[in-house]
Amino acid sequence: MTVPGSSPPVIAPLGDQALTVTFAARVDAEAAARVSALRHQLQTRSPVGVIELVPGYVALTVHYRPTETDYESLRRAVADGVAASVDPVERDAGRLVTIPVRYDGPDLAEVATATGLQPDQVIARHAGREYRVVLLGFVPGFAYLTGLDPALELPRRSAPRPRVPAGSVAIAGAQTGVYPAATPGGWHLLGTTTSAMFDPTRRPPNLLEVGDRVRFEVVR
Amino acid sequence: MLEIVKASGLATIQDLGWEVGRAIGLPRSGAMDRASLRLANALVGNQDDHAGIELALGPFSARFDDDRSFAFTGGLTGQLDGVAVPNDTTNLARAGQRLELRPTARPRFGYLALAGGIAIPPTLGSRSTYLPTGIGGHQGRRLATGDRLPLGLATAAPPPGFSLGGIMEEPGPIRVIPGPQAHLFAAEALGRLGSEPFVISPTSDRMGTRLKGPPLTPLVKATLPSEATCIGAVQVPDDGQPIVLLADGPTVGGYSKLAALITADLDRFVRMGPGESVRFRVVSIADAELALRAATAAFDGRLATIRGAIPR
Repeated sequence: MTVPGSSPPVIAPLGDQALTVTFAARVDAEAAARVSALRHQLQTRSPVGVIELVPGYVALTVHYRPTETDYESLRRAVADGVAASVDPVERDAGRLVTIPVRYDGPDLAEVATATGLQPDQVIARHAGREYRVVLLGFVPGFAYLTGLDPALELPRRSAPRPRVPAGSVAIAGAQTGVYPAATPGGWHLLGTTTSAMFDPTRRPPNLLEVGDRVRFEVVR
Repeated sequence: MLEIVKASGLATIQDLGWEVGRAIGLPRSGAMDRASLRLANALVGNQDDHAGIELALGPFSARFDDDRSFAFTGGLTGQLDGVAVPNDTTNLARAGQRLELRPTARPRFGYLALAGGIAIPPTLGSRSTYLPTGIGGHQGRRLATGDRLPLGLATAAPPPGFSLGGIMEEPGPIRVIPGPQAHLFAAEALGRLGSEPFVISPTSDRMGTRLKGPPLTPLVKATLPSEATCIGAVQVPDDGQPIVLLADGPTVGGYSKLAALITADLDRFVRMGPGESVRFRVVSIADAELALRAATAAFDGRLATIRGAIPR
């Protein structure tokens, strides 16, 4: 049963091998919870032809094999899944993962100035919280974490770097995350971790799963 | 073994990519022009998803350690020990011979298949190379002079000289279906996408193709909350110039998706090169599904004919 008063999501094709279920137009805690509930429902009772589910902040995408199903059949099955989703309470109890960080990032001083804090206060406010993994993407193993202290919220850097060091711990907007590899990046770099966010020889290769809780631990 | 003598362009090992992986941020990757890889594989008696070498942008040459069937498809011309060999054809190399392949202006990507396939150990089930973070393939990177690649056990191939010709392309616009954020654009945006010409930008690569044309600006300039993308998605950033996501494109993003290419026309779009003009046509999901079924049946039929030419 769905939360009373919540409107039905919009289901639409995403190309001809996926469909997207959209619960809201903006980031919204209730919509995020409904994504999580639907994801669990479809993982438990997977419709024919589904390959995998990719959550977004307020939408869930279902990738499927067009040789095994078609858009209309899957849309109906997914709509049934929405109706069957339990109340969007916190289904993701989630593991707690601790990530050690050396807070010596090139943007630490700039972030301090921009937020009106001392650098060690920035560190304390970043390391002192429990975050939640909401989605994975951008590159393999990159996890978007919500729960950043509002005092640390800043827009992305106006000039992204063409290359950030692998393991960089960064913030932007209301999010924090760790760059798994040396890639371009537009977030503010607070430090680095030696934890491997993505290791193809490990099972699973990604350190973080959607629903995990994360704490950063100061390492000197 | 295949010894790489020269690889000055973009040469990577690719198969049909990771079917599963988007949920952890791993794109499908694999051959950009899937039909061309599959055709090359069929011509050497390989399975669809044997690993071959994708080539673009620069000349490539390799030496064979043993006698082996090979075929090249897509945008390539070839010479074996200095003598021209035909594309889209089963060829036979003798031990010690050197194959040189040069990209043509179009199609953008070419494929070299060797009987038995490239037998490097797979990563998470695929031998494809995801270059942006160096996953898979040969050490996660493009091939270079001196690389030696293990080849698999060759099974029977069609006879040398066998050919069914190249990929047959339907002419006409590239078909798209409306995207999940089509309603966030002005009504004429989809119409413009479906009727005006766009030019393929030279900055296009395995992650995506940038298009230059009339602006397709969203109604509301606000970042979409990040959500899943798909290969073929037509994303529109603030500058109104669309980007079509391709094999190595990110699995999630915050740009609005006005439309998405239908699977049946993806390979044809990938074959278009920088500077080329492309036109799109908006169709329904039902049309897209019909087109895919028809294209799949036709192409599977061709591959079956090729496999039927293998001597028993």
